[in-house]
Amino acid sequence: MTTVLLIPGLVSDHFVWDAARMALSPLPVAIADVSTQVSIPDMARDLLARHPGRLMIAGHSMGGRVAMEMARMAPGRIAGMALLNTGTHPRREGEEAKRQAMIDHAHAQGMAALAAVWLPGMMNAEAVPDPSLMADLTAMVCRMTPEIHERQLRALLARPDAAATLAYKGPMLLIVGRQDQWSPVAQHQDIARLCPQARLEIVEDAGHFAPVEQPAAVAALLANWAHAVVAADAGLDRIPDTPLFDRPRSNNGYALNKMAMGLSSPEGRAAFVADEPAYLDRFALTPDQRAAVLARDWAEMVRLGGNLFYILKISAVDPTAIRAIGAAQAGLSLDTFLDTRLGKVTNG
Amino acid sequence: MAKLIGGLGTSHVPSIAAALDKGLRDSDEWKPFFDGYSPAQDWVAAQKPDIAVVIFNDHGNAFFLDRVPTLALGVAENYDPIDEGWGPRPVPSFVGAADFAWHLADQMVSSHFDPLICRELQVDHGMQVPMELVFGRPAAWPVKVVPILVNTIQYPIPTPQRMWDLGRVLRAAIQSWPTDEKVIVLGTGGLSHQLQGARAGYINPAEDRKWIADIGPNPQRYRDMTREDYVEVFGSEGAELIMWLVMRGCMDMAVNTLHRHYFAPASMTGAGMVLLENA
Repeated sequence: MTTVLLIPGLVSDHFVWDAARMALSPLPVAIADVSTQVSIPDMARDLLARHPGRLMIAGHSMGGRVAMEMARMAPGRIAGMALLNTGTHPRREGEEAKRQAMIDHAHAQGMAALAAVWLPGMMNAEAVPDPSLMADLTAMVCRMTPEIHERQLRALLARPDAAATLAYKGPMLLIVGRQDQWSPVAQHQDIARLCPQARLEIVEDAGHFAPVEQPAAVAALLANWAHAVVAADAGLDRIPDTPLFDRPRSNNGYALNKMAMGLSSPEGRAAFVADEPAYLDRFALTPDQRAAVLARDWAEMVRLGGNLFYILKISAVDPTAIRAIGAAQAGLSLDTFLDTRLGKVTNG
Repeated sequence: MAKLIGGLGTSHVPSIAAALDKGLRDSDEWKPFFDGYSPAQDWVAAQKPDIAVVIFNDHGNAFFLDRVPTLALGVAENYDPIDEGWGPRPVPSFVGAADFAWHLADQMVSSHFDPLICRELQVDHGMQVPMELVFGRPAAWPVKVVPILVNTIQYPIPTPQRMWDLGRVLRAAIQSWPTDEKVIVLGTGGLSHQLQGARAGYINPAEDRKWIADIGPNPQRYRDMTREDYVEVFGSEGAELIMWLVMRGCMDMAVNTLHRHYFAPASMTGAGMVLLENA
């Protein structure tokens, strides 16, 4: 089952995701905790360890950088990635001094004072801030501490250049507020150029806190996309130990299956029997596939894209019972396999 | 007009063919399996059908992965047994009902089913075994055949819902065929089995028995299931059962289940049959 992991940004928590969480129901949703780790890679590693299995990740602002780092570290576990109000650039000229001033301010004056100077620049500047939203955001910032704030800012200052490593090929959604001055639309267009599969959605009347400035619009975009991605992702590999022969497997196993298909003619079989290595040389097998064939390692052949209907033809040349091939894949002795999987005869 | 005399669902496990080839029909292991087919064989023999439409999947024999037709229709004059790796089996060549097959091609494409149309085709155990289970091993087959091949190996495979709808088109084609020929439709494959992966050897006799009992009177559940549901319940190759839905879809909603039989395991498969006639 795929879990949707929502990763908040700087001094943020579940509040940023409340609307999205409702819209994502009934998908399993988890909110990431990024308040304890000292670097973006540490946050990514920690979240991958704490949230097992397949993940659909959505990151807001700093959370987007964590998401990109997770996709770099474990692309195979990421069913899809949504990036909201974020960017890929490394530390900019003069950034350290400005961040240090904020760190000092939070330590000296407290989190409410930090919220008062920090939040206004994050909002849509073309609208009068909604007082109740500002109160909720201030309350969120006050749930954090100056130490968390400092740790996260130092992680951001040491952030990797995400553009240099962004090679994620899976489904991607980019969401940005039209009036986001901190992470403007152009930064998301840059990401879309790096990842052409990404869909870019610009939310009107929203700044850097688009998920709470326009909660309904952002939640609907995210949820519609996530439901489709999770459904598509759940399709084929959700049944344990059942490698359905899909596009990746068909691609990976093409030469292996073609080699086996060659055994459906008497000439192919004679060549295989006369000189198996020379016969295998006719096909563009990977070294692993070649070794698996020579070793008659059926589980490995299937893992490498072999499909039983083709590789079974090897057993016509080198007789092996289909049940023995089944037992080998199950990792069981033939007797145990017959006893536990196929059981007693039932008739009538 | 041609007449649909009945629909028969059956397994097409290759071990059944191997057992016949080795003369094991009456062995302790296989006799109970084959005997279960005898009443249906007798019924079909008495009905004397002229044409058998056989829905099955090629198992990487006639088609390789270089071109995978989701649906293929045979319009050939003859279909020889194919070499699956052990040499062609000693079963008679099948004579094609080419005229009816072309009519079916017209009806299918007019109804927005667009098959690969095959003028030369060899057939594997997917068609041989059901024919042997229904007609025994005669010197010449007593019916002409129309093979319909469905991709059930490489994903995406077609949906169960689409298979049912194909059955409706097949029914209309039979009813609009201006002869007095009698047609039987064989939906083949399954029942539960899995050949690939660490779950290999999975069978589900309880669900198989439910399928055999319900596919006639209560097919709705099976129309509603997804492909993934089929894999989960019946195993990765058990998803072949979607091909029985072509047979079921071409019958009336109200049917009589004339004969049914279940046996497991036949090699690594839950095996069985059901014979339906319109009520």
